[in-house]
Amino acid sequence: MENETESIKHAPLPTEKTLRSRRNLPFQFWRFAAINFKMIKMIRRGHH
Amino acid sequence: MARVVVMGAGIAGHTAALHLKRILKKSDEVIVISPNSKYNWIPSNIWVGVGKMNKSQVTFPLAPVYKRKKITFHQALATAVHPAGDSQISSPYIEVTYTDSNKNGTSAKIEYDYLINATGPKLNFVATEGLGPDGHTVSVCTSDHAIEAAHSLKAVIAKMKAGQKQTLVIGVGHGTCTCEGAAFEYTFNVEHELRQAGVRDLAEIIYLTNEYELGDFGVGGLIFTQRGFQTTSKLWTESLFRERNIHAILGAHVEKIEAGLIHYELVDGTKGMLSFDFAMLLPPFRGVDMKAFEKDGSDISAEIFAPSGFMKVDADYSGKPYEEWLASDWPNTYQIPKFPNVFAIGIAFAPPHQISKPRKSPNGTLVAPSPPRTGMPSGIMGKVAAVNIAALIKSGNRAKVRSASMADMGAACVASAGSGLRKGSAASMTMYPVVPDYMKFPTTGRSTDDTFGEIGLAGHWIKLLLHYMFIYKAKARFGWFLIPE
Ligand SMILES: Cc1cc2nc3c(=O)[nH]c(=O)nc-3n(C[C@H](O)[C@H](O)[C@H](O)COP(=O)(O)OP(=O)(O)OC[C@H]3O[C@@H](n4cnc5c(N)ncnc54)[C@H](O)[C@@H]3O)c2cc1C
Repeated sequence: MENETESIKHAPLPTEKTLRSRRNLPFQFWRFAAINFKMIKMIRRGHH
Repeated sequence: MARVVVMGAGIAGHTAALHLKRILKKSDEVIVISPNSKYNWIPSNIWVGVGKMNKSQVTFPLAPVYKRKKITFHQALATAVHPAGDSQISSPYIEVTYTDSNKNGTSAKIEYDYLINATGPKLNFVATEGLGPDGHTVSVCTSDHAIEAAHSLKAVIAKMKAGQKQTLVIGVGHGTCTCEGAAFEYTFNVEHELRQAGVRDLAEIIYLTNEYELGDFGVGGLIFTQRGFQTTSKLWTESLFRERNIHAILGAHVEKIEAGLIHYELVDGTKGMLSFDFAMLLPPFRGVDMKAFEKDGSDISAEIFAPSGFMKVDADYSGKPYEEWLASDWPNTYQIPKFPNVFAIGIAFAPPHQISKPRKSPNGTLVAPSPPRTGMPSGIMGKVAAVNIAALIKSGNRAKVRSASMADMGAACVASAGSGLRKGSAASMTMYPVVPDYMKFPTTGRSTDDTFGEIGLAGHWIKLLLHYMFIYKAKARFGWFLIPE
């Protein structure tokens, strides 16, 4: 088994900009709409 | 007049019962059997477990909803199925034992034309010595468990505030557990709470899991496209663990738990011990205790239920090796082949095989995440079972039944990583299909267009929206059926 601590240690860290964008209200409103749209599309695809 | 009996009022059974009542004729009867008087929106138990919600926000009494919808409700535990009746009763029936205060302990026989088994999981804490609320760890599987978890968490936070270092272990308590997504969510919610309480630097948080890699979630991980590249849920999850400074022990089977000490074996055969001050470990699931009998009274439980206790439906249970299974092995209509008027949906049906690759340690210990059957597929199965039963009642053998295979169904999962309207966060994920289909999607088994993941505050808003939307729907309020499962 891969040493998990090693793989976590080497995982890419988000940049400051990414971290900020995850909390940025206007950007997150837009993501809220976009993710909901993606989910509805996926639900439609699999809904019976 | 037809009578449909639904055993279980969780996501699958409650959805089925409401749709049945909506679709069937007024003269048809829908009966629900469930041991608890309340409905529990289980996904939000995570927030109860960190003290952010209370029990009344995640539960509501079922009886008034069923009364309003003209569904008969028996607060009882189903104990046996007689799918061909017996020497005295010619029609199929189930045996129940009441759990409400009036009739507590008394039994009854309830006849049916169609039966839905939606009894969910038995929380099998006894599979691991010392696991669970009767042992040394807490759980968030029920709202009461989650309340207890919140109390324990509060106690360790108080100790940290007094300057003591604490070790918090969160994960799964057996090599064959499922629901790793819930353990993941709870880990990040706890981490978020510790930061809010200003004690994060005094806490070591360890995620203890049977997953071979982070991001497996019991579905063998996800591959999705991001900014023009294919990426994996492994990389993405590892990044989150690094960012939040959470350690992980992977491929672990928990053998035994003593006060403050977890004994585990890894898939490579090494054994380890882990001290803890707080541990939330989910139990493995098995089917609820239920028996099945033939008309002559002989016990046919072994034929109807898999060794895991889950009900065998229209799937391929030939037990072929993991490498040889196909998406088509998964059930379509969830009917028992021998008794097609009996359906098993949600967690109650026996999956034909693991989705995540099962592994054995050199000592022969099985480390194999079981396939998750999350809320969305459980709800869809409930609706499709209701539609199919209505069609069968109307047209008999000529009825066209619909399929709800998990190999042709997507799932949306929003894993909360901390609550708060401005400070919250969640990992939003979708996958299509849940069970990979390498015939349709040869490279990754899933559609890379419909499989994606993203972290951010928007995910928290979605999770909160889903909480209110699904409780509204479960209360069968105006227009409830317009909200998709
Ligand atoms: C902590 C946690 C968090 C989760 N978070 C998410 C999430 O964020 N998203 C998601 O999609 N899924 C989530 N899940 C999974 C989700 O809760 C399940 O997929 C879903 O509850 C399964 O529905 P079900 O109806 O099959 O079982 P359940 O919801 O467990 O319902 C089973 C019902 O059967 C009743 N019952 C039990 N025994 C009997 C008996 N003998 N006779 C009659 N009735 C009986 C029970 O009382 C209950 O009413 C989570 C699970 C857990 C434990």
